[in-house]
Amino acid sequence: MRLRRPCADTAVRATMSAHEPRRGGELVVDGLRVAYEPGVPVVDGIDLAVPAGTLTALLGPSGCGKTTVLKVVAGLLTAGAGEVSVDGIALDTTPAERRPVGMVFQKPLLFGHLTVGDNVAFGLRMRGVGRAARRRRVAEMLELVGLPELAGRRVGELSGGQEQRVALARALVLDPRVLLLDEPFSALDAELRHRMRELVRRVQRELSITMLFVTHDQQEAVDLADAVVLMLGGRIEGVGSPSSFYTDPPTLAAARFFGSTNEIPGTVTGSAFTCPLGELQLDHPGPDGPGVLVVRPEAVRLLGADGPPNTVTTTVRETRFRGTHRTVVTVADGGTMVLTATVAPAVPVEAGDRVHLQLPPSACRVLPTAAPRIVTTTENEDARA
Amino acid sequence: MSTVPRGLRITLLLAPALLVVVGLFGGGLAQAVAQSLGYQPFLPGRELSLDAYRALWADPAVRASIGITLRVALISTAAAAVLGTAAALLVRSLGRHRRRFAALLQVTLPLPHAVAALAMILLLGQSGALSRVAAALGLVEDPSGFPALTQDGFGWGIIASYVWKEAPFVAVVVLAALSSGVAELEDAARALGANAAQRMRHVLAPVLAPAVAAASVLVFAFTLGSYEVPFLLGRPFPATLPVVAYQQFRDPDLSARPLAMAIAVVTALLVGACVVAYLSLSERLRR
Repeated sequence: MRLRRPCADTAVRATMSAHEPRRGGELVVDGLRVAYEPGVPVVDGIDLAVPAGTLTALLGPSGCGKTTVLKVVAGLLTAGAGEVSVDGIALDTTPAERRPVGMVFQKPLLFGHLTVGDNVAFGLRMRGVGRAARRRRVAEMLELVGLPELAGRRVGELSGGQEQRVALARALVLDPRVLLLDEPFSALDAELRHRMRELVRRVQRELSITMLFVTHDQQEAVDLADAVVLMLGGRIEGVGSPSSFYTDPPTLAAARFFGSTNEIPGTVTGSAFTCPLGELQLDHPGPDGPGVLVVRPEAVRLLGADGPPNTVTTTVRETRFRGTHRTVVTVADGGTMVLTATVAPAVPVEAGDRVHLQLPPSACRVLPTAAPRIVTTTENEDARA
Repeated sequence: MSTVPRGLRITLLLAPALLVVVGLFGGGLAQAVAQSLGYQPFLPGRELSLDAYRALWADPAVRASIGITLRVALISTAAAAVLGTAAALLVRSLGRHRRRFAALLQVTLPLPHAVAALAMILLLGQSGALSRVAAALGLVEDPSGFPALTQDGFGWGIIASYVWKEAPFVAVVVLAALSSGVAELEDAARALGANAAQRMRHVLAPVLAPAVAAASVLVFAFTLGSYEVPFLLGRPFPATLPVVAYQQFRDPDLSARPLAMAIAVVTALLVGACVVAYLSLSERLRR
């Protein structure tokens, strides 16, 4: 892609000239490669596009390179190769302090010697915004994050959730084209984390800002994002809508990252899958050849009798009570294949029972065992259409 | 489980150390205070009074001593704070070589001050290395024509010795403060649009100020009360307070003893005030 170079500090001027909320910009990362040691890239071949005004989650386990990508986009880290652009303007030579990009870090990183109001006003002060305008913007931002009365408070007197709200307000006050969030709620308890997610989602919708949200929590990604970019081992494993990762994972690794699955090795021939359980029918067969059939335990149905297609007779090995549901672990006849199903807690199933499990053809997907298949958002939308 | 109450157990465990501190230091201090008030049972007709403290302000040697003591302490502290902070920031910017240079910075810390003072004589004295180099370069006719930087009236040699020893101490303290998440705060400030100068002023300076101030208070307290460096590098007149106190203490006339002790007590009070300031700053640093 041919990108325009930024003229002087166009982006900064644009940021400062507007005090009314604007729609966010489109973020594009193209061929990003970062290596802390020569020849050992931490991230490699990262291509991603975050459409203007949307929230994309960059999801992956700890140490997969998510924060590295974010730091490169923010300008806090230099990439060995690749390009970052916002609205088609390349930012590679633009220093962090002049990029139209805001960032909320994993830790709040508030300035302890300043009050809440002064923390929120920090960026405006650095850019020479007058006192009256600063005060007005700070009030607006604190109102937006639900802390209108705390402007005069010392940051040491805030709770963890309040600190992250202030950090969010501090980043938003500059009206960035793109806002980066680096696991900002990972240190909060579950209830607070849930409330903060809702706050971020509300703010994103109200301001139509472009957000790239880093998280290792797939539930958080699913809750928040319009699109999910899954990173594993420094590379992008797949890109898609949150639901597509669950129902139609691009790779086996992606399927595993989005929760437990039943995995059955076998071979596809037409719409049939031959495996140790016999011949199973597929609604979405994919190319002929060897593969692994995956089906979520939640999709597996417990039947009273054999009959429908893809029904397998198994013996219950154990059941585990999970509060809202019960996990039933079974062993198929022959004793080699373990199949797991999820049932309501009240379903009367005990270890040793003979049960019939149906693997619905619509819920079965066959995935390649090695080479990853990259699914783009567009492909998923096409598939849904 | 032990049946001895916890408080008593702690007191007993601390007793050996407390005995040394209270017995030797506290006892010595009490003795000094008593003698400064005229308590000299070995001399006839002595009464307790504040005469020594009144005489202290009247004595021209003591007045001159206060001047040079404060001058040396203030200049040494300011120079050590500035150079130490600059060195720490420089070391931090060295990337992968940071640890090596940080270790190099600490080389002077374990050396005794007396060694530093003797090194300054060999380097800065009128028969020292610098004077010979200056003579060899034709800057002065003779090494003895080199400006007096040791045993001088201003105290340059004393100051140089203190700076050489204390700047690395400040640097170590500042490096410790810099290692506690300051880089992350700077990143946050960068993302908020702060350039290098703004980050220095609005992030680094406020974060480092308590550490630099705490280290400076310690340096000031030490330079105020130290004896061996001004004794080796200074003049007999005007001398620093600890040197004058010792001169008075060694006076064969025992009636001079209360004055010596009054000087020692005043010096101790000044150092005590510095310690209180240090503790207060440390508390602020912890918060």
